[in-house]
Amino acid sequence: MAEVVLATRDLSVQFGGLKAVNRVNLTVERGDLVGLIGPNGAGKTTIFNLITGAIAPTEGEIIFRGRQIGGKRPDILARMGISRTFQNIRLFPQMSVLENVAIGLHSVPKYTIIEALFRLPRAVRSDREVNRKALEHLARVGLADHWADKAGSLPYGLQRKLEIARALAASPELLLLDEPAAGMNNEECQGFITFLRQLHRETGLTIVLIEHHMNVVMDLCPRIYVLNLGEVLAEGDPREIQNNPSVIKAYLGERRRTASA
Amino acid sequence: MGYLNSILILGGINVLAVVGVAVLTGYTGLFTIGHAAFMAIGGYTAAVLVVKLGQPFWLALVAAGVAAALSSLIVGYPTLRSKLKGDYFAIAMLGFGEAVRLILNNTYAVINGAIGFTGIPLLTTSTLVIILDIGGIILIRNFVISQYGKNCVAIREQEVAAELMGIDVMKTKLWALGISAFYAGVAGGLFAFYMTYLAPSMFTSSKSSDLLAGVVFGGINSITGPVLAAFFLVVLPELLRFLFVWRLVIYGLLFVIIMIFRPQGLLGYRDINWASLKQLLARFNGGRRPSQAVTREGGR
Repeated sequence: MAEVVLATRDLSVQFGGLKAVNRVNLTVERGDLVGLIGPNGAGKTTIFNLITGAIAPTEGEIIFRGRQIGGKRPDILARMGISRTFQNIRLFPQMSVLENVAIGLHSVPKYTIIEALFRLPRAVRSDREVNRKALEHLARVGLADHWADKAGSLPYGLQRKLEIARALAASPELLLLDEPAAGMNNEECQGFITFLRQLHRETGLTIVLIEHHMNVVMDLCPRIYVLNLGEVLAEGDPREIQNNPSVIKAYLGERRRTASA
Repeated sequence: MGYLNSILILGGINVLAVVGVAVLTGYTGLFTIGHAAFMAIGGYTAAVLVVKLGQPFWLALVAAGVAAALSSLIVGYPTLRSKLKGDYFAIAMLGFGEAVRLILNNTYAVINGAIGFTGIPLLTTSTLVIILDIGGIILIRNFVISQYGKNCVAIREQEVAAELMGIDVMKTKLWALGISAFYAGVAGGLFAFYMTYLAPSMFTSSKSSDLLAGVVFGGINSITGPVLAAFFLVVLPELLRFLFVWRLVIYGLLFVIIMIFRPQGLLGYRDINWASLKQLLARFNGGRRPSQAVTREGGR
């Protein structure tokens, strides 16, 4: 049995009178590629926000590699090895593509502020090393040619890729992808599936994926959680999920009916 | 000659203070209308050390910077901890600036309150100002190209992502504020030993907005822009002196025009350095750089 990287125990968060996430139990093991699906407003992104520390849970626990992390600061969690991308892309638009990835590599500089001010050898060496590694990361996602461009000037699809490259540069233990294929057409989705599958196979990274494109999730994720109204509705492999009556009722059913109509 | 010298010194002092504000506002994205307070703290610290305690001038200048930087923690810690940004941070700084000025105004022991601190020797020379300017600009340039500077820019660009990438946002902002306060403090020290007299009324919020104006006018994400602007903003009112009261109108009008046509400032996101000069030369020689075109395809 593999190590449990992430587990939530009765995780709940309440915004005023609304229980956005209600007693959610998730288990993610090392090397898993878990899908998180559900209709709009089901609480998927809220769960990501809880895991990354952007919001604090009202009840329940989040356990990351054996430690309770609920309510910790986002930057501390990031340094512990949780990395994410965003539903609405959040790059550093005026910085170059290379600099974006460099931030992922070393969010904590490896030299003191005095060394930075006087540009002492250790700072120069460290910066050069970061740039070299950042280029390697860019090459891996096929963005090396764009290293000098401003991130905000990249086409939409490449911005998505850059966000993933930036998240990967932090060498995370757990990667959370929030609708990475949003806005992609079918063909682009296929390309993305190939890209993510290869990435997962090569790095063995633990990934949780929120996605609305059913073909992406069904293709990639051996295990899927379905959320509805803040609660876990079902859990299982793609076949089980597709045949689960309550899931069909809450979510997939509507899609299927429109598709066959 | 004496007149030119005085413009050079006052311009140089303004450059030093504005370069510090450039780190805070131009790179980290925190607006301030209270940095005259740090000049005041630096100025009074240096003056007291030399006049009352007989310390050497160079030590007083260092102490001026350190005192200003430490005092920046008083306002920085509570405001940045509670994640004040934008207008709210600017207003907190305005409050801090006014508070410092009023405290100085009412402290009659040692520094003579509103009457003013007199008898400061004239020790600031144009040579010293130029040396400190050059040194100060080099250090700031090193800072902004370092990983620390990159972290500042990341926070300005997209604070949520910066924090979720592992950047300690509060610490980085406190460093930016501390460095900008240090520069303002040293500038205040130089100012005191040039004017040979200090009064709290020299450090009003309009002095603070002049410093901010230098950065906004010169351009964000730039060092050379604010440096030129800071110097120009001291020279300009002098050049327009023949217009009497109308010069302030023209001064204001110029700001409005720049904000309309170049909201990012004159040299926003640009710096004058060897690479940019070479590029300019290449363009004059008819060479076009295709990679410089900013394309906006499909993005939103």
